[in-house]
Amino acid sequence: MKMHDRPIRLLTAVPICDGHDSAISTINLELIRHGVEVIYLGYHRGADDIARAAVQEDVRAVGISSYNGGHVEFFTQVRRRLDARGGSDIGLFGGGGGTITQADAAIMQKRGVDRIFFAGTPLDEIVAFIKKSYSVRAKANKAGKAEPAERQLARRLSAVAEKSSGSRSNGRHRPQLIIGITGPGGAGKTTLIDELVLRFLKSDPDSRIAILSHDPSIVGSGALLGDRAAMFYSQNDRVFMRSLSSAGQAGGLAPQSVQCLKILQDGKDDASEFDVILVETVGIGQEAVPFDRKLVDKTVLVMSPDYGSRLQLQKIAMLDVADVVVVNKSDLAAARAASNEIQRRVAGNHRGQRVISTVAKRHGDPGVDELFAVLNDSAKSPAEATGS
Amino acid sequence: MSVLADIVEANEKYRDFVRQQVDRARSDAGFGNELVDRWRKIREAIPTGKTPTGLSLPRHALPNTDEPGAVAQYIFGQGLPGEFPFLNAAYHEMYLEPSDGQQRRAEEPTRLFAGLGLPEDTNARFKYLTGQQRSARLSTAFDGPTLYGLDSDADGVLGKIGEGGVAVDTVDDMAVLYDGFDLSSDNVSVSMTINGPAPAILAMFIAAAKRRFGPGVVAKLRGTIQADILKEVQAQNEVLFPLEASLRFLTDMVEWTTANMPRWYPISISGYHIAEAGATPVQQAAYTLSNGFTYVELFKQRGMDVNRFGPRLSFFLDCGLDVEYLALARVCRKIWAIGMRDVFKADESSQRFKLHTQTSGRSLVAQEFQNNLTRTAIELMVAYINATNSCHSNSADEAFTTPGEQYVRLASHAQAILLEESGLFKHTMNLLGASPGMEALERAVEAAVLEEFREIDRLGGVLAAVETRYQRSQIQAAAHEYERQIFDGRRPIIGLNRYAKGSQPAQVKTVRTSPAKQKRQAQRVRDFKHRHRKESAAALEKLSKVVQEGGNVFEELIQTVEHCTLGQITERLHELVGHYRPTI
Repeated sequence: MKMHDRPIRLLTAVPICDGHDSAISTINLELIRHGVEVIYLGYHRGADDIARAAVQEDVRAVGISSYNGGHVEFFTQVRRRLDARGGSDIGLFGGGGGTITQADAAIMQKRGVDRIFFAGTPLDEIVAFIKKSYSVRAKANKAGKAEPAERQLARRLSAVAEKSSGSRSNGRHRPQLIIGITGPGGAGKTTLIDELVLRFLKSDPDSRIAILSHDPSIVGSGALLGDRAAMFYSQNDRVFMRSLSSAGQAGGLAPQSVQCLKILQDGKDDASEFDVILVETVGIGQEAVPFDRKLVDKTVLVMSPDYGSRLQLQKIAMLDVADVVVVNKSDLAAARAASNEIQRRVAGNHRGQRVISTVAKRHGDPGVDELFAVLNDSAKSPAEATGS
Repeated sequence: MSVLADIVEANEKYRDFVRQQVDRARSDAGFGNELVDRWRKIREAIPTGKTPTGLSLPRHALPNTDEPGAVAQYIFGQGLPGEFPFLNAAYHEMYLEPSDGQQRRAEEPTRLFAGLGLPEDTNARFKYLTGQQRSARLSTAFDGPTLYGLDSDADGVLGKIGEGGVAVDTVDDMAVLYDGFDLSSDNVSVSMTINGPAPAILAMFIAAAKRRFGPGVVAKLRGTIQADILKEVQAQNEVLFPLEASLRFLTDMVEWTTANMPRWYPISISGYHIAEAGATPVQQAAYTLSNGFTYVELFKQRGMDVNRFGPRLSFFLDCGLDVEYLALARVCRKIWAIGMRDVFKADESSQRFKLHTQTSGRSLVAQEFQNNLTRTAIELMVAYINATNSCHSNSADEAFTTPGEQYVRLASHAQAILLEESGLFKHTMNLLGASPGMEALERAVEAAVLEEFREIDRLGGVLAAVETRYQRSQIQAAAHEYERQIFDGRRPIIGLNRYAKGSQPAQVKTVRTSPAKQKRQAQRVRDFKHRHRKESAAALEKLSKVVQEGGNVFEELIQTVEHCTLGQITERLHELVGHYRPTI
């Protein structure tokens, strides 16, 4: 296979009312092994969630693994909703083991599905099909018709992703609040972000939120961008999320992150004007300081209580920089001691840094409420936001 | 340290105890003689039966030895069928032909899973199926929207309604589903395969039964609801609410049914879906048993008496073609019995591992699908060699469709051929127990299961391991390995990667629910909501209050379902306790 400048980006998902994720997990792994960037939306996902994510992520195609019946209707729905969101050039393929018959597949292909794979198809054949069909971006075929604004925004982000240069001027309206969220892998950043999104959406019925999410990858190979699969409230028409792979860059962000953030700040139109932008880094190491102070308004460091010894704590550079330190999973036994240690550690900085204990996985967690209040207040009074 | 460490320790202690008994039987003549005496009496008391060709056979097969050590090894290490540690069987005679000359048993172990279309369609399928059987064992599959707690008029579910199972939105649907069956009778039992929304669905079942048979029926209702949330989180992904809330709703239900429905099994601790998601046989056994012990702990923490709820726990395992399956359920029975007796101090009834088995769906292949008849027949035989208490045999066409009547009939007949036509399970219990090969398998499987327990314990126990997605990642790794083996030919699948030349794609009828029917069901639930629009808000408010004040949610649900749909209830509970957040 010929190497391409940028990996093919695909979105994979399992339909609504279907939890059969065994086949798609295997296929995801096979795809990233062959250099594909896979954004995995998870199981039990509605057609609209899939189409929205596909457009926002600007993928070349959507792959759906369906084992619970109703595939003819479901694939048709996905196709329609992709088209309605300006994604008529986004490919659609899938499979369902033995549950999708040849006759079903014929109907589905007539309705705009590129290909259905049947039981027993070697994984190599699936990979070869994807490389052949989706290496080149298809031409948008609805000539003359203006693309929906969200689709245009997604394309602008891709232009950065693909060229990775060319700076843009700041737009007419700077968003109120940009929050950088970082921390080691497994601390619960994604869950925390989804819970914050729920609170932002609820607190202001008109607000729009953008999420720039980062997942690790190795240069020249694929990546599995799986944050969306664990997000619930962020699957919303008022939320724009874009997943980036770090492409081997150390420090938590991707080469094009800064440019992408600028575009999200630009606010060319209603669809690309955001009140809050959340930037989530890759899981970081002790010495990493991913955010330039000018890049974001507030930095949140999310930690889990099991960071190891106090000595380890001394080495975590972000503890000196973060505006808020969140000790997540505070239902764990070690949480109180961890929180106390961290309090003492940051007190020495004399910067008025907040330490908040949360259990992000718990519904309506008061700790997350407190974090939201701190962040939201800083949006209302930007003067004191720097906090130094 | 978690309870699993105690279970491992109890099993190790028991192994040492057996070894000591064997040594003592050999070295202490008094003890040895006493044991051999008892052994001879047991043997003499075993009745004999005759095969159709006139051969006499004992109804229990015992090792042909009078050596005290071997006798001790058998009595303590395996147990007679129906005796601790229940390696050979949970009960004494299982499916043997009655010795009093009657041709047929009162209740057969065949239990066929059915569910398609609208409630009236599945009701008709039940009537068709039970026409083939003497007792009515109604095993119910639900469609995707029901399994995820959604109503048939929810956004985006059209196409899924009545697919792969029956659509149930309301108590009225439930009444239609089991219409014509006497739910108060001893001969009728109902099984419902549903997990996330299990409490609301069981509440509908109770409410519908009360309507038809009066409040007195509740104590008579016989059956099982799956309600196994832990395996959902580990494998099957049909979880609605965060784990903590899901476990609370489950415990509320178990508490209520234990007190009010003495003949009901409120949870079926299931390895089936763990295996279908790709787990190895050993992983299936280890995760199922460890989940089971975790439930016991949870229910005890609620203050429930293990001897009240213990006998109402049942298990559900997959049976595939890997050789481990020959001994898998046997080993599970033993580990469960020792854990329940020695760690939880439970009585004999709770020590019995009551098992439903289903042949492996994953082993079915769409290519030359008639081969699935053979696959299922072999699995069926292995399941009965394991002395399962009940069994479902898959239909050959299930690789690509909800089974059609033709293949359901063949699947049902496969069990009749095995149990009634063939003599394998009619005359002698324990046909293969204590054979060298079986014992070698048992030792290997048991050691591997206990090693998995140790690993889960090192992670802090089942609930802590779930948080780190340990079981999921293990199952996924096993699934990948299985797929790799198929693709590179190390795992031969006939008609797929071996002898596949000339293999034709299946040309069979698929069973689908027509769009018109699906729309009819969506209209039904809209009508129900309209009819109950005045009462539903208050009913949901009452439910909210119980959830917030810590009352028994299940008890309230039996009232709520009178006016609210499954979707309305799910939505309200989501508002109160949130959503389950998947871990991939």
